[in-house]
Amino acid sequence: MKEPLFGPFREQGNGKHTLGPMQHIDVPMRRFREDEPVDYLIVGVGSAGGVLVQRLARAGFKVVGLEAGPFWDTERDWVSDEAGSHKLYWEDARITGGSDPLALGANNSGKGVGGGSVHWAAFTPRLHPSDFEVYTRDGVGADWPISYDELLPYYEQLEIEMPVAGPAYFPWGRPHGYAYGPHPMGGVGNALIRGCSKLGIPVCIGGPVAILSGSHGDRPHCIYRGFCIQGCKVGAKASTLITHVPDAIKSGAEIRELSMASRIEMGKDGRAAGIHYFDGEGRPHFQKAKAVIVAGYAIESPRLLLNSSCAGHENGLANSSDTVGRYLMAQAGNVVLGRFDELVRMYKAPPAHALSEEFYETDPKRGFARGFAIQTVAPLPIAFAKQMVAAKKAWGWGLRRELMDYNHWATFGVLGEILPWPENRVTLADEKDQFGIPVAHVSFNLHENDKRLIKFGKEKTFEVMYAAGATEVVQEARYAHLVGACRMGADPGTSVVDKFCRTHDVSNLFVCDGSVMPTQGSANPGLTIQALAARTADYLISQGDAIFTSNRRDMTPPRLRRGLAPPHTWGKGVPRLT
Amino acid sequence: MKSGSIHAGASLRPRDPVTGEALPERAQPGYYPGFSIMSQKAYWDRATREVVEARLKPASPLRFFSDDEAKLWTAVFDHILPQTDRIPERRIPLIPALDERLQENRTVGYRFEDMPHDRDVYKTIGIQAINAEARALYRRDFLGLAFVEQEGVLRAIHDGDARAGEALWKQMSIHRFWQLLTGDAIEAYYAHPWAWDEIGFGGPAYPRAYMRLERGEPEPWEAEERRYAWEGPVASLSDETNDASHHHTEAEQHGHRPGKRQP
Amino acid sequence: MATEAQSLSVLHPSRDAEIISNHVREGRFQRSLSLITAGASIVSGLEVAYEHYRGSYSRRIMYTPVILSAVLGAAAAAAVFSRRAARGALRIASIVTLADAAAGFYFHVQGIRRKPGGWHLPLTNIIMGPPIFAPLLFGTAAYLGLIASYLQREESRSEVADDGRDWWLASLLPRAEERALLSEEQDIREGRFQKQVVIVAGVSAILSGFEAWYSHYKNNFRYMAQWSPVILAPLLAGAAFASIRSRWFARTALPLCSVAAIADAGVGFYYHARGVVRRPGGWKHILYNILYGPPIFAPLLIGAAGMMGIMASMLRRSNR
Repeated sequence: MKEPLFGPFREQGNGKHTLGPMQHIDVPMRRFREDEPVDYLIVGVGSAGGVLVQRLARAGFKVVGLEAGPFWDTERDWVSDEAGSHKLYWEDARITGGSDPLALGANNSGKGVGGGSVHWAAFTPRLHPSDFEVYTRDGVGADWPISYDELLPYYEQLEIEMPVAGPAYFPWGRPHGYAYGPHPMGGVGNALIRGCSKLGIPVCIGGPVAILSGSHGDRPHCIYRGFCIQGCKVGAKASTLITHVPDAIKSGAEIRELSMASRIEMGKDGRAAGIHYFDGEGRPHFQKAKAVIVAGYAIESPRLLLNSSCAGHENGLANSSDTVGRYLMAQAGNVVLGRFDELVRMYKAPPAHALSEEFYETDPKRGFARGFAIQTVAPLPIAFAKQMVAAKKAWGWGLRRELMDYNHWATFGVLGEILPWPENRVTLADEKDQFGIPVAHVSFNLHENDKRLIKFGKEKTFEVMYAAGATEVVQEARYAHLVGACRMGADPGTSVVDKFCRTHDVSNLFVCDGSVMPTQGSANPGLTIQALAARTADYLISQGDAIFTSNRRDMTPPRLRRGLAPPHTWGKGVPRLT
Repeated sequence: MKSGSIHAGASLRPRDPVTGEALPERAQPGYYPGFSIMSQKAYWDRATREVVEARLKPASPLRFFSDDEAKLWTAVFDHILPQTDRIPERRIPLIPALDERLQENRTVGYRFEDMPHDRDVYKTIGIQAINAEARALYRRDFLGLAFVEQEGVLRAIHDGDARAGEALWKQMSIHRFWQLLTGDAIEAYYAHPWAWDEIGFGGPAYPRAYMRLERGEPEPWEAEERRYAWEGPVASLSDETNDASHHHTEAEQHGHRPGKRQP
Repeated sequence: MATEAQSLSVLHPSRDAEIISNHVREGRFQRSLSLITAGASIVSGLEVAYEHYRGSYSRRIMYTPVILSAVLGAAAAAAVFSRRAARGALRIASIVTLADAAAGFYFHVQGIRRKPGGWHLPLTNIIMGPPIFAPLLFGTAAYLGLIASYLQREESRSEVADDGRDWWLASLLPRAEERALLSEEQDIREGRFQKQVVIVAGVSAILSGFEAWYSHYKNNFRYMAQWSPVILAPLLAGAAFASIRSRWFARTALPLCSVAAIADAGVGFYYHARGVVRRPGGWKHILYNILYGPPIFAPLLIGAAGMMGIMASMLRRSNR
């Protein structure tokens, strides 16, 4: 058939702002004046910012979210196409270096409302309890100022809000189950199951991923088209753009798109007074605020703090410890590619749909601290071709030949923990971006433990791929995700923020995003980032106006406020077994 | 050039491995004859359809590259992603997409510290580097070389085997330079629906879903695989791969050696 | 004959068959049909439980068929032992379950409409969305339960029983329909409802044949055997519908096709079960593989149509 039945598809939205095929924003957004201080000014409406904006607005605060990128209309702006999706990624100037330079952009940096959660693959494993005490257990890395149990209620809450699909019993870390059922397998997932089962390695099938396996109100369930990291037009994959931002707007928050923060203004009282930013036309603005939350992720957050240096904060804001920008982490993300005699067609089904965390914890026998996970990944042709260039040094006819076999390949990803090192850091370069703001320089260097871990993880994944039946196995070395660079800690001398994400130096300035993580585990960070944001929001709400008026630090942990979840959260999914 | 060949440039075309004869040009090379992504466009959303259809339209005039620059890069990209197995009207233009990217100053979102800006690479340094390597190997500029000599120049860059002296490659990492070129060629070629037809990629699938997720089963509108044997042209050096999997880290795999003296 | 041996004995299979045949002919098989209902209800309850788990119970209403099939199963089990349970609990549970099946059908149709592309992509969205006819097939057990509730018990001695009429339901209807309903009920009690059962068997065969077709189409008909239910279903349906008018069809083609359908269900059940353990991970991930492998109970649906065909062929035609 050349045409769908009953003619072409109906255009969605009818002029409204669409978020997926059924959901749209149909209330006018509130606008705040720049010269009247808002309660919370949040820089970056991504994974963390989206949750913060929603929670704080729902609690009745005046909230503005500044977002450097656009406020996506998913039907109009997004495409099922690799090359057409570049605008989802942070592609402004950045410089990367060190002995092991990180790829940025599409690899780990989002732009636009929803941020990285728009283009993540949506794997949502939790950290393990051991991740919160890496230093105590293994003598490397750092301890968190909070324990797994303190974050646990927020993991459970966000897993319902997204919601996360996965098995009823997830065996690693603290065992738990998921609210939404597991997904069907594509060719890559089946290869992982075959390989792991043959080697006796437990494997988790069909999740945990924040992709709907059943409909969820106005969000249809997954259609298995494989374009997760190009932005989910279906609305099945969770992003804060569709899970939290609509409720934030209904609750009276303002999302100010195309607003690039350049500097945090400090008042004479030693408190943050507001933010200088540039609008879409490059015009400078200043928004006053009673408190500022920086949620720009692991490169832009330290960049903003460093760019905000002023009298009394010569090394950059909140940087009395010289920790801002340091302890930046990426995970080892080596992609292991296996060629099978039979067809795989790995572009079908979400890239993220099965994993094993069997090698997550430290095993002294391996000769390195910490561990790794093995996950499904499924690159589309452009990404796959670049992997063939790296893994097989293919070019010319060799490249054409490998790509003609695209449908025979399956790919697994190693997700390995790289430890936090002080010299892995974000600094400011001499170069300036289109607004005249100094750009970030990222320096990344692997250490002996990291290299051993990568080698072991890669080789183990090779074993699994061969066991799955691959006749040829190759590998592309790369990195995934970014966290750290504004880490949290109890000691103001060695960390940037306290356990509620408040900077040690400025009492109404917060950093809340992936950059506060002291260590990263071998779990994809998205869920942890959102859980930390919800917890920070609960803390701020529990403090009421004290944040705006007082410099006193109340370190009482907040209680979980379930009532602040977006209203469509409830009444769906299966009861949790554990 | 093979004697007895009807078509000019048969030595540039892939061969039948048994007879050694150049294979005929095809409207659609690859193992999925009859598969046409564009025949499915009515099943895509409008935004996607517009983006993909735009790639089939005649390219607008180049804005960033001068004619001479375009000539050089076209020649280079013809080696990185050769298309002599395609009939001329079904060859995928690679330079226009690159020209547009550079004109709009779009990047991948980062620049290696040992690399100049993309625009400088493509406008000056990269051209100098390729010509310098060509002169070092064959004493002529790249465009003056025979096809197989050009292959030799590019293979040397591919191998990181620089001959043209320290000064030039101090400005630019030879490995990251190669990565940039291949990346741009791939971004143009494998974004094109004809390339998807070639490799059997199902392409856009919204609103229509995929339903046969397992065992590589084709959707009703996809084609079964029908393989044929071929090998690279006589005049080509690129139809081979070297497994680089023994490198565990990205830097090693891309030949990046900080502090290592560039040859 | 009916007044003689009330219990079956394996020692005389031919006589047992005759007893069963007579019981069915005369509408005296309430206990056996209740037992079948209980079994069918439990199987379809299991099926809907895991099918809806695949859909993540994303609406609370998705729990209702699971609960109702347990209730219906219990009521039917009670009906095996108690005449009162058969006429009370079983009948009510059956009616409620039938209503739920109708509601389920509505929600499944809506679910397909709400998928991206909706009814513009009917095949894709039926295959990848909620299975459109599954709720109606789920109603099969409830239909059997409803029939059972009107039958006589095996041990019943009166040739034509007229006790236990459902005056209450009938009295809600206008006079003409009241009479029609009462006479229909009476026919059932007497085993004179062949036409009704052949219609249901025919419809059920078509629906399950359609389900088999699109499920196997999704699988690209990898195995020749996947065509068998697709071919058998229309044959069975044809035989069933022909039996409405033709006594001859009801006695020959209908039981033949029905037996074939039941045999095919057995074969399908075997292949599906084998397919489940042959999936990646096999027994190690058996729960997941049951969830997403070939649906092991689905072949029984066409078997259920066949069973109704057999039952119909044994029943009497109504007087009217």
